[in-house]
This record gives sequence, structure tokens and C-alpha cells, in this order.
Amino acid sequence: MANRNSWLAWVFLIPALIPVAVLMYYPMIGTVIESLYSSSFINPAPQFVGLELYEKLFASAEFATIVRNSLIWTVFVVVMQNVSGFGVALLLNQHLPTSGLLRALILLPWILPGVVAAILWRFMYDPQLGLINSFLIRLGLSSEGTAWLAEADTAMAAAIVAAVWKGFPFSAVVYLAALQDVDREQIEAAIIDGAGRIRRLIHVIIPSMREVIVINLVLTTILTFNYFDMIWVLTRGGPQNATHIFPTKIYELGFGQFRFGDAATYGVCSILVLAILITLYFLVRRGDKAEPAGRA
Amino acid sequence: MRRSMMLATVLAVSAPALGHAQDVVLQFWDNQQTESGLSEYQQEAVRSFEAANPGIKVEVTTIPYPEYQQRLLTAVRSGNAPDVSTVDQIWVAAFAEAGAIVPLDKMAEDGGVTAETFFPGAWASANYQDQLWGIPFNVDVWQFSFYNSALLEAAGIEPSSIATFEGLRAAGEKLTDAAGGKFGIGLMGHKGEDTVVVLDSFIFSNGGRVLDDDGSCALTSDEAVEALAYLQSLVPYAPRGIANASSGDMRELFLNGSLAIEFWPALEQPTLQKSSIDWDFVNGTAPEGQTPIGTYGGWNLVIYQDSEHQDAAWKFIEFLTSEEVNGKVVDLIPANVAAADTFLNANRKGPDRILEHLNNASPRPLSPRYLEVSDIQVTLAQDVYAGMDPAEAAEKACAAIDALN
Amino acid sequence: MRGPSRVDRAGIVAAQLVVALIVLLPFFWIVSVSLKPGDEPFAIPANLWPDNPTLDNYISAFRPEFRTYFLNSVIVSLSTVVITISLGLLAAYTFTRTQTRAIMICMILVIAAQMFPASAIIIPIYQMMNAVGLLNTYASLILAYITITLPVAIWMLRAFMIRLPVVLDEAAAVDGCGPFRTFFLIILPLSRPGIVATSVFVLIVTWQEFLFALSFTSTKDMRTLPVGMNDFIGQYGIRYGELMASSVLVSVPVVGVFFLLQKQFVAGLTAGAVKG
Repeated sequence: MANRNSWLAWVFLIPALIPVAVLMYYPMIGTVIESLYSSSFINPAPQFVGLELYEKLFASAEFATIVRNSLIWTVFVVVMQNVSGFGVALLLNQHLPTSGLLRALILLPWILPGVVAAILWRFMYDPQLGLINSFLIRLGLSSEGTAWLAEADTAMAAAIVAAVWKGFPFSAVVYLAALQDVDREQIEAAIIDGAGRIRRLIHVIIPSMREVIVINLVLTTILTFNYFDMIWVLTRGGPQNATHIFPTKIYELGFGQFRFGDAATYGVCSILVLAILITLYFLVRRGDKAEPAGRA
Repeated sequence: MRRSMMLATVLAVSAPALGHAQDVVLQFWDNQQTESGLSEYQQEAVRSFEAANPGIKVEVTTIPYPEYQQRLLTAVRSGNAPDVSTVDQIWVAAFAEAGAIVPLDKMAEDGGVTAETFFPGAWASANYQDQLWGIPFNVDVWQFSFYNSALLEAAGIEPSSIATFEGLRAAGEKLTDAAGGKFGIGLMGHKGEDTVVVLDSFIFSNGGRVLDDDGSCALTSDEAVEALAYLQSLVPYAPRGIANASSGDMRELFLNGSLAIEFWPALEQPTLQKSSIDWDFVNGTAPEGQTPIGTYGGWNLVIYQDSEHQDAAWKFIEFLTSEEVNGKVVDLIPANVAAADTFLNANRKGPDRILEHLNNASPRPLSPRYLEVSDIQVTLAQDVYAGMDPAEAAEKACAAIDALN
Repeated sequence: MRGPSRVDRAGIVAAQLVVALIVLLPFFWIVSVSLKPGDEPFAIPANLWPDNPTLDNYISAFRPEFRTYFLNSVIVSLSTVVITISLGLLAAYTFTRTQTRAIMICMILVIAAQMFPASAIIIPIYQMMNAVGLLNTYASLILAYITITLPVAIWMLRAFMIRLPVVLDEAAAVDGCGPFRTFFLIILPLSRPGIVATSVFVLIVTWQEFLFALSFTSTKDMRTLPVGMNDFIGQYGIRYGELMASSVLVSVPVVGVFFLLQKQFVAGLTAGAVKG
């Protein structure tokens, strides 16, 4: 299906492009425009202020906090989700009777509605009533327990753990599918060559999954960066903005305080920061990328 | 043949339309009540309204609290608002400033609905810039100090003593045994309105205010800072994790006997009645010799600017807030004073005390930017509970509030 | 892959069980809370089993509205999966096989759309739906869900398809297959694990999506399951027992579906077909 058939390519493509253009780009452009006006619920006659809102934003200490929190949140959650997801996928790729059942059960954290998972974890972290402190106290690891979500130091870490638990099954499923796809002949060849388990993993399996790994990393980065439910229910961004990230800030400004212009500004910045993050990642990759796409 | 068929079709199609031409359908949105079988009573009330007002139908949509603010906002912004809805007292000024709702002065005057019918704080919360924007629907006060009688008795504390600053602190000390998992006072500091109303009531009771009449910040006054310092002194007697604690969390601890005193509005009573705790309450806390002043909470009924049936909507509001009906359609306390009297005597322990606290209570600042003020106050509370110097914390808050203008 | 040795097997099963335990521990808690009667307070330290377990919460959670919400969720999710996968497959195929500049730019734009934060664009989308009268219909949700899952679906499908070498297409062309036949007879079957993985992804994302469902549905009979959860969350308190019971009822069907789908998922590819 080479370039001469590109009109056919467009036929295949257009049905997918239309919803994205209409329901994502069109509103987003509207949001960008809105960020150039100072408008809020109580001031329905918007005035054009150009980049003034952005200036105000960049100058605020809060913006720096939100950027920092978002980056820490995203990087830790993504790395931990992918590593644990990959490990679990390896574990479940074995032809054992238990594997079948576990493959299905492992999905549970991901399937659980986001709000419920967050409420569950909030309760587990409860200083008096929660499972986690109960465990720690029973095991003698702590005398009084910790107020996980109430202290600025531990709140973000606690949220990260909860998010990793919630989302790692997605990576596990993707990697499991990719593992299924690995060329058997290459593995057989490696075994014949005398390569042990670890060497097979590092030199045959992972390289052949490279595309999938890259895509999954970028995907989980995007999804995590915009992940709203967990932090909102756990801490609403507190304590003292220690866990406030872009999505929670946007929601708080727009729906909580009726400040739409500011929410729009944060929305645009959110995309910019995320885009920079991903571009950085690809730049790093470009260094060691060998094959062009489309060839095995 | 053709002609008569056409005629018949036209008649057949238009007949139902003719029949319904008079019917007005009112869209009414309300906060969904999860606790009681309230929706049944609301349905009944709606039916009797429809019976008394032929030609008006009411469609009730109940919306769970977590989504209410978002849905209303989205709807109003898109021109999709209902005809009439309940709104939290603290949104009235913003909705008025935004031109989303209509002033009700004339309708109220014509209908004989006056301030005297309702609790003063509730009526005040519906007024903004000398116009009436809503009619009070239900009210409550933060806070009542609910206490576990058994725990207080065991510690040798006279219950009425916890109504004073000194008494509450002393009680807190006797009741708290952190290592043993027992706590005296349920302080909350999460990002929520309950944190703010509790903070406010201590400030009010000490003679302070949040905003002055001209809208500038009053939190740096001596009275306010004293109240903040007092609250800070109570921290050792509260369960750990104040910065993420909500009133709901405190309730769970109260119910299982680890917390001796919890701060809640009168709404808490039905839950306590169902529990096995032996309980009672006092009307908040104030310095020795002064009357505790609580913070008003509640919902008002408003009519939306885009509504095409404003007269019908007004009739419905009059109906809902009348003495006979108000008590039957609310979960909080009816805003109609006469109805409240009946309601409290029938359903709540200590009705006289509740009425007293209601009559003394003060509303939160009626600013269209209240939601931003509230956010700043949450930060103030968290700062104070975390140990920051109260005067410094108050200055930080005032700087932020004054910067809003 | 040859089966692991005896010792290996024992070790792996043990590891699997440990992982399962850690991951599923919170679910024991969910079940425990779901069996706790509403008037029994939470204990300190936490009990993994309530004093007087009861099924009342499940009965309450399985109220008539629940069945409506469930049906709505099923209709919306399945429709979205079918349409998104169909459109996604076509688009992914194009992106892997045609490398013109314009198409590459399209691909980047599509994937970039994934970065838009939902809460920033929700009001404009709401207004658009309102303008065409689609609010409170299945169509609005399905459209919205297709839009938010399409970029990801395309990307995932592309990742799996890109491993299929172009020589396959060429061989098929030599055999006389046009582009459509190549697509349906050769590429699709070989992409099966990818299709299943992507379908599972889309299903689960739409099954638990909350923000759009909340914004686009107004009447109770159109709500989906996640929005229905809000029925148990009041202004000042959460009805934990019923909320947890409801979550169990919501999660079990999807797990069941995936368990049945597994065979498809794990089918893998016969050696030789890929190498070509």
C-alpha cells in the first residue's frame, strides 16, 4: 500500500480524523482564545487582555509549585507503573494453570471506577481508621501511625502509590500482549546459543518490544499528567498545595471558583508543559533510535 | 377525499397540542438528599402544588451534592439552566453578579413574603447590594458541639462547661489520650467549606469578623487573631491528620467512641439517633460570659434569568417556603421560622437551644468572590493548625483577600 | 516457549500469589466494608471482617436505578469499543503503511489531541452538544468517548501493526489482493492480540469515565454507573457500605468478560507467519 494509494489512505483516515477535529481541536482552540480574555462567571463581559493572564500566572509562586508537582507526580507514577507492569506481565506470561485466573484478576484495580478507588485509598490512609496504619501498628513498625495525606512530605508519595496500584494493570496488559507477539524463532535461536533467562530478556525480548515500550511510556505519561480523580478525592490538592497538579488546579479554578479565564490559561499551559516533557523524551530517544518505522 | 384526509391529519396532530397549550412545565433542580426518604415527601408536595395550580407541572431533578455546583454552572453558562433551583447561600452573590438570576423584590412584595417570615441570617444571605435575589429554603448552623455523654462523665467533665473557651480546652486535655487512641476535640482542616465555617464560628464568637462592611479583610483584628490562637491551642487534643480531616471523618471517629466532641450542624442528629452512643450537645463555644455565635449555612431558592415561566416559578417558591409545606420538603431545618418551630419540636432533640443558636447566627461574607475568599481561609486554617504564628497567618490571608480586588 | 522446570514453576506460582495478594488486598477491604451494616461503626484498629456481616448493602446497591445505569454503561461502552476499534484500525493501518508528510502530520496531531485536559474543554463540548440537541442521549456520550479514546487506540494499534513487515503486504499484492483484502485477510488476524488489548483498554476507560458522563447526562435514566456512584456521596458523609457493594457489582462483570476473552488474547502467533 505505497504512496500511490494515498487517496485510499485518506479514505481510511478521514472517519477517524473528524471526531478528533470537531470535538477536541475546535473546543481547545476555543479554550486558547478564552485564555486571552479575562472572563469569569461574575464578569460575563469578557475583555481582551492578550497575554496578561499568562504573565500573571508565570509570576505566581503557585504556578511553579504546580509545575513541579505535576512533573514529580508524572515521572514517578509512569516509571513505577511501567516497571511493575512489565514485571507482572513477565510473571503472567507463563503457561501455568494459575496464570489464566490471575490475568483477569490483575485488572481489578484498573477497572474499579476512579472515584471509588480514590475513596478507598483515602480511607486506607486514614490516620485512625485506615488499614495501612493498622497494619504498621500491628506489625510493630510504627507506634502511632502517620497522617499520610495530611503531611506535605508524605502526601505526594502516598498519592503516587495509590495511582501506581490503580494504573499498572494497563501497562501489564499492554506488555503481556507484546510478549505474546515476540518472535518465537529468535528466542529459540537464543536458547540454542546458550543464552540464559536474563540474557534472553535483555537482548532479545526487550529490543523486540521497543516500539510498544516507547508508545506505552508516552501514553502513560499523557494519561498520568491529566489524571484528575485520584488526587482530587485524596487531598483536593492539599495540604497547602503539596499535591496540586494541573488537572486539579484547572478544575478548582473553573468549577470550584468560577474563574474560567484563569482555568483556560492553566489549561493551555498544561498542554505546553506536557508537550515539552514528551518532546524531551523523544529527543533523548533520537540518540539511540536505529530503524525507521515499518520494517521489522 | 385527499383534502379531508389532510384536514383530518392536521386536526389529529394539533389536537394534543391544543390540549397542552396551557400547561407550563417548570424545571426544578434540587440537591439530592441521600439520608432520608425525603424524595417521597417532595413528590407528594409537588403533587399537591400541581393540584392547587392546574396548568403548571413541575419536573423535579435531584442532583447529588458532589456534582451540583458543576452541573449548575455548566447549565447556566450554556443557557440550559432550570427555571428554579436551590443554590447554596454562598453562591447567591456570584449568581446575582453574573446576571444569572432575577431579583425578587417586587414578587416578594406583591406576594407578602417578608423578612420576618424567615431567620434573619438566612434572609440576609439572600440579599446582595440592596436587592433580594432568593428566598431562604432551609438553614442550619455550624456548629453545635455534640458530645459523648459517657466519655465526659467518665472524665468528670460537666457538659455545659464545654461551651466556654477555657472549658473546652480543659475538657480536651482530660479527654485526650493519643497513645490510647482517644481524642477530645474533632478539628478539621481539609479543603472544604466545613473547615471554613468552623473557623468562622470561633472568630465570630470571639467578636471578630471575616470581612469588614467595606469588603476589606478583618482577619488581622485582635479578636480574630485571638480566636485563631485559641484554635491552635486545641490542636494537641484533636486526632492526627487535621490537614486532611473532614467533618465526615470526625463523625466516623465519634461513632466508634474514639472522639468525645464533634462539631456538626443540627443535621447530624438523625445519624446520632440511629447510633448506640449516648449523646447531647451545646450551642458552640465562646469566651466566658459571651454568647456563642454560629455560622449560617443553608440553601436559597432562586429563579433563573432565562426562565420563560418566572411567574409560575414564583408561585412554586411561595408554596415551598410556606409554613405548611416548608417543613415537609427539607432535610436541614426549614428557613420559615414558624415551620422550623414545628419541625424541630417534632424531629430534633433540644429544639429551643437549636432555635436560639439559629437566631444568633451570622452568615458568611456576601461577596460574589466568596469562593476565592473561602479558599484563602482554608489555607489560613491549615497554616494555623500546622503551627504558624496566628498573627502572621492572618496577615498572609488578608494580603491575599485584599489582593482579590 | 518451553514450560519452566519444576522448581521454576513453584517459584513463579509463589511470586504470582504474592503479587496477587498485594494487589488485591484493598479489594478484601472493599468486600469487608460492603458487608458491614450501616449502623456498625468502623473499628480501630481496622477489622478485615465486620462483626455482623450483612448483605443489605448489596440489596440496596442493586436498586432499580442500578440496572438502568448498568444498561446505559453497557450500551455506551460497547458501542464505543466497536466504533473506535473500527476507525482506529483503519487509521493505524494507514499510519503504518503510508509515510507521506501530510499523513505523518495528521498522525502527530491526532496523538497530540490526547494531551488536552478534559476539564478545560468540557464546557465548549457541552455547548456544542447542547446546540445540536444531543444532550442527555447515548449519542453524545458515545461521540465524546470515541473522541477521547481514538488517539490512544490508534496509537496502540499502530504499535502492534508496525511489527508486521511490509513484505506481507507485498506478498499479498503479488497474490492479487487489493488493499481491502490485504487489510481484512492478512493484517487484521495477525493484529489480534493488539486488537484485544486495545478493546480492553477502550472498554475499561469508557466503563469508568466520569467527567463527560456527568456533564452530558441530566436525567437519572441516562446516567452511567460511575455517575451513579454519586448517589451514595452526600454533602457531609459517604455511605461506604453501599458504595463499596456497588463497586463490587460494577467491577465483576468486566473481569468476567476479560477472563472469557483471554483465550483470544493469549492466542499469540504461530511461528513462521510473522517472519514471512
